[in-house]
Amino acid sequence: MEIEKTKNQFESEVENAKDLSQLDNVRVKYLGKKGLVTDLMSHIKELAIEEKKIFGQKINALKNMIENKIEQTKQKLEKENIEKKLKSEKKIDITLPVSIESGSLHPRTILQKEIEDIFVGMGFTVEDGYEVETEYNNFDAVNVPKNHPARDMQDTFWLSNNQVLKTQTSAAQNRILRKYNGPLKAIFPGRCFRNEAVDHSHENTFFQIEGLLVDEEVSVGNLIFFMKKMLSELFKKDINIRLRPGFFPFVEPGFEMDAQCTFCEGKGCQVCKHSGWLELCPCGMIHPQVLKLAGIDSEKYCGFAFGLGFDRLVMLQYGLDDIRMLNSGNLRFLKQFKTKF
Amino acid sequence: MYISLNWIKEYVNLDGIDEDELIKRFLLSTAEIEDVIYKGQDVQGVIFAKITSVESHPNSQKLHILNVFDGKENVQVVCGAPNVRVGMITAFAPIKSTVGGHKISKAKLAGVESFGMCCSENELGIGSDDNGIMDIKEDVKLGASLKEYYPIDDTIIEIDNKSLTNRPDLWGHYGIAREFSTIFKRKLKPISVFETEKYKNLNKLNIKIEDEGCLRYSAISVKNIFSHNSPQWLKIRLCYTGMRDINLLADLTNYLMLELGQPMHAFDNEKVKGIVVKKASDNLTMLTLEGEQHKLSKDALVICDSQENPVAIAGIKGGLLSSISENTTSLLLESACFDPTCIRKTSANIGLKTDASIRYEKSLDPEMTTLAIKRLLKLLNDIEPNMEITSALTDVYKKQYSKNTIKFNRQFLQKRIGVELENNKIEEILKYLGFEITIKGDEFTVIPPSFRATKDISIKEDIVEEIARMYGYDNIPSMSLLGEIKPTSIDYVHDKEYKTKFILSQKYNLNEVHSYIWNYKDFNEEYGINSPSYLSLLDTTNSGQSGIRSELAPTLLKMFFENKNNFNNISIYEIGRAIIGIDENNLGIEKRKLAIVLASQEKSKKDLYFSLKKMLLDVCQTILNVKVDFVENKSQNYLNPINSCEIISGNKILGKMGILHPMITSKLDKRFNVAVLEVDFDMLCNGENLESKLEKITKYQTVSLDFNFNVPHSKSYAEIEILLNNFNSKLKCNYSLSDIYIDEKNDKQYWTFNFNIYSLDRTLTSEDIDKFSSKLTSYMSENGIELKK
Repeated sequence: MEIEKTKNQFESEVENAKDLSQLDNVRVKYLGKKGLVTDLMSHIKELAIEEKKIFGQKINALKNMIENKIEQTKQKLEKENIEKKLKSEKKIDITLPVSIESGSLHPRTILQKEIEDIFVGMGFTVEDGYEVETEYNNFDAVNVPKNHPARDMQDTFWLSNNQVLKTQTSAAQNRILRKYNGPLKAIFPGRCFRNEAVDHSHENTFFQIEGLLVDEEVSVGNLIFFMKKMLSELFKKDINIRLRPGFFPFVEPGFEMDAQCTFCEGKGCQVCKHSGWLELCPCGMIHPQVLKLAGIDSEKYCGFAFGLGFDRLVMLQYGLDDIRMLNSGNLRFLKQFKTKF
Repeated sequence: MYISLNWIKEYVNLDGIDEDELIKRFLLSTAEIEDVIYKGQDVQGVIFAKITSVESHPNSQKLHILNVFDGKENVQVVCGAPNVRVGMITAFAPIKSTVGGHKISKAKLAGVESFGMCCSENELGIGSDDNGIMDIKEDVKLGASLKEYYPIDDTIIEIDNKSLTNRPDLWGHYGIAREFSTIFKRKLKPISVFETEKYKNLNKLNIKIEDEGCLRYSAISVKNIFSHNSPQWLKIRLCYTGMRDINLLADLTNYLMLELGQPMHAFDNEKVKGIVVKKASDNLTMLTLEGEQHKLSKDALVICDSQENPVAIAGIKGGLLSSISENTTSLLLESACFDPTCIRKTSANIGLKTDASIRYEKSLDPEMTTLAIKRLLKLLNDIEPNMEITSALTDVYKKQYSKNTIKFNRQFLQKRIGVELENNKIEEILKYLGFEITIKGDEFTVIPPSFRATKDISIKEDIVEEIARMYGYDNIPSMSLLGEIKPTSIDYVHDKEYKTKFILSQKYNLNEVHSYIWNYKDFNEEYGINSPSYLSLLDTTNSGQSGIRSELAPTLLKMFFENKNNFNNISIYEIGRAIIGIDENNLGIEKRKLAIVLASQEKSKKDLYFSLKKMLLDVCQTILNVKVDFVENKSQNYLNPINSCEIISGNKILGKMGILHPMITSKLDKRFNVAVLEVDFDMLCNGENLESKLEKITKYQTVSLDFNFNVPHSKSYAEIEILLNNFNSKLKCNYSLSDIYIDEKNDKQYWTFNFNIYSLDRTLTSEDIDKFSSKLTSYMSENGIELKK
């Protein structure tokens, strides 16, 4: 039988195909337009009607068998090919270092953006202030008495035109209170200046982030809420805070806010001087005089204010022990702060 | 300030309360505690003993061999103190006792065995005398522990003075005791005093107050004081709270200051006749107790006697000539109150801060002066029962404190604090704190006590603090706040600042720096950088600088200079403030500025310049949507006059950009090429907007054509750009400069422009393309630009 013969012939030839091109030759020889199977097919017209059906089925079976076998062999050869390639593959030292070209952001910028985003998420606006301020905005408007020592030359950088380099972000309070003239939630980061000698823990130029919230009914409990939320969000864990009495002319009552030390979880360590707490933020309920001076009815409205010691937070966050590094422009230090938002 | 808990417990019974709890509650309710010191732990087993024999030491001139009787037996001790004598009772540390943390053991001194040690007060840490061993005059039991007689064991808390600036009442133990009494709801005991009422008919002292800087001056005179040494308990109190004991009268005045917060002064009554308080005369110099000369200015307040001789700098320091001495037996006791600002200014002027002056600066309670005198007399009388009062208690009270009444209700306190309160709770706290209170329903009317009224408490918000801190801040629950919900806004320029920083640091690999606001005059002068400063600093001691910068670039050049030895390439920027002038109201004009400095030992000036240009245009395009142009300008002080330009938007000059002036580069470091950009960031953010609209995209094929023009050296790209932009074609086209080839041999340059041409409604034919080419070629030729042959 022709069919049986073709089948046997194919089987031996396909076994002998050593690579994909030989296999393709076999495919063309049997399945091509002028291939053996097509050729066999042409004999169908010579057969009797009843034989035609059987013959047709046999040819189709042969064709399927050949197609399957070729596909199988193809997969087998491809697999062998890849294995051969892998054997000759050159090994790369995948542990070699790569250098990522990147500039750096100042560590303050990185953390400031993070904190701003947290407050924006809680509905606070972000405002801007000046660095050179009037005596009125810096002192009078925030209820600092006329003869207060903070106004002395030893503490404040006075300028030749009787303005000052702002000593606290609170200098922007009056302007912001006037801008909203009622309920508001705002933070205003800024650079502040104090006329003092510089050492590893004191700077004459430093950053604060101040916040203000004014509404009809605001309590100490609300202040605790926002400070706790902000710190917990920043440190990505629940942070305990505590308030202690503190005196600042622009708030009444005034507090020092401590956060439980994030390094030792309050057990006491070198960073928190073994107290378990970090002093982070003077804050308090806005002094009615500050509201009055901004034209706000202090009987109707009240609020809280806080002044986050931002540079201290930066130092804590990055384990920095010398505040002078921040303004130094020392690129060996700064280049470590690769872009991150 | 150091606070002795023994002293506090004299005024408030704190039995049954753990010391850690005492300290924690005080910290949360009153003031910051810096340290807790446990006194007396380093002294154990020291007893009273009597010296029964004194013999000289065979091998030493200084040492003596003593026998001391400890109540049971005689013990041999070798002692180096000069004041040993038979019959003297002293402090004896036998073997196995502890002094100053050291265990006492048997020792051989210069060959003689010693079974213990006789101690001085100083060695025991209970007094300042270190001239000899203790010479105890009190009637004590030999062999008894010193601790049975003297309050050697004590806990001292150190309070941060800064947390007491607004609390004049806390500058003495009695005020602190009142806080403890309120915190723990324990009764505050009254101060026991010496009644002076019966001496009111004696002659009054002659006191005149000639200046309003003195609010009140109270005094009394006393005689028959023969004791000069303070009793041991008094010395211990002073020693533990950071003072040196000097002599009885000085010690008592110091004691009173530490107890009530009232500074006092004792004059030798023989040396001071009458008191006049007045401003200092011109160029007055004063010799103070320590023997220092102080030159006083005219606004300093001084105490003079009736002959106008200055006897003290008011509220700061007594004078040497009128001071008590060993021969003093009669004294004039001063207890006064002065204006805080006046004292603070004088203290700052003469550079003398004393325990008295720091208290007066806080606005002391003027009601306290006479009480302090009566208290001191009580202590003095206990020690010196023969003392005799020789004048009436004389009191000149010039200026009363302003008594005010504060009204509030319970609901107000509740809202502000955020907790439910009961009326009797509020009342209880305020009563403990010394307020006078009237309650009608929920309405409170209170009068703060004098010691809180001078500075600290005047409005109802002050009451919020009193109630909240005593209620305990840690008992206030955290509470969210529901206000109106509205979109938050971020200051426009502030937001753009971040985005600009982000692109410069991440896309262009620049390093952000923060520099100071100073104008570095010396640096600028040394390196020939000319940058004006419009505001100067009145005090330059701490910054070392004289003025405020008007530009950032010079500061960045300084930073480049400080970093240049560590890097071959430095690319830094800052967005910061500068004062660019003074406005008509004499206020500084403050601007946010962006400055970039690129310095490289590897890259060419041209590369650096174009990096700057690219960064700026990228920021303008992707962040700000602002159109900027560049105009040549040869007078950009620190920039190279040939290769620099002004940056403009619309008709406004925003800044400048260019290669650093070669003169400056050569001084800074000639290995580097440096390019500098400085732009007003506020103006840049608000510059003229770019015109941007979407282009229609053709459905038909776009044809790309290259044209290679021979461009004369005299032409700039900007000129060619204008030419090309004015070329009129029916077809749509856009172009870009793809290559510049410089043929040095023939001194020619060829610029290749790549054109994309297309039509919105059909496919271009070769005829269209040929037509375009010849039209462009002839147009350029008409304008003096030929195609490359």
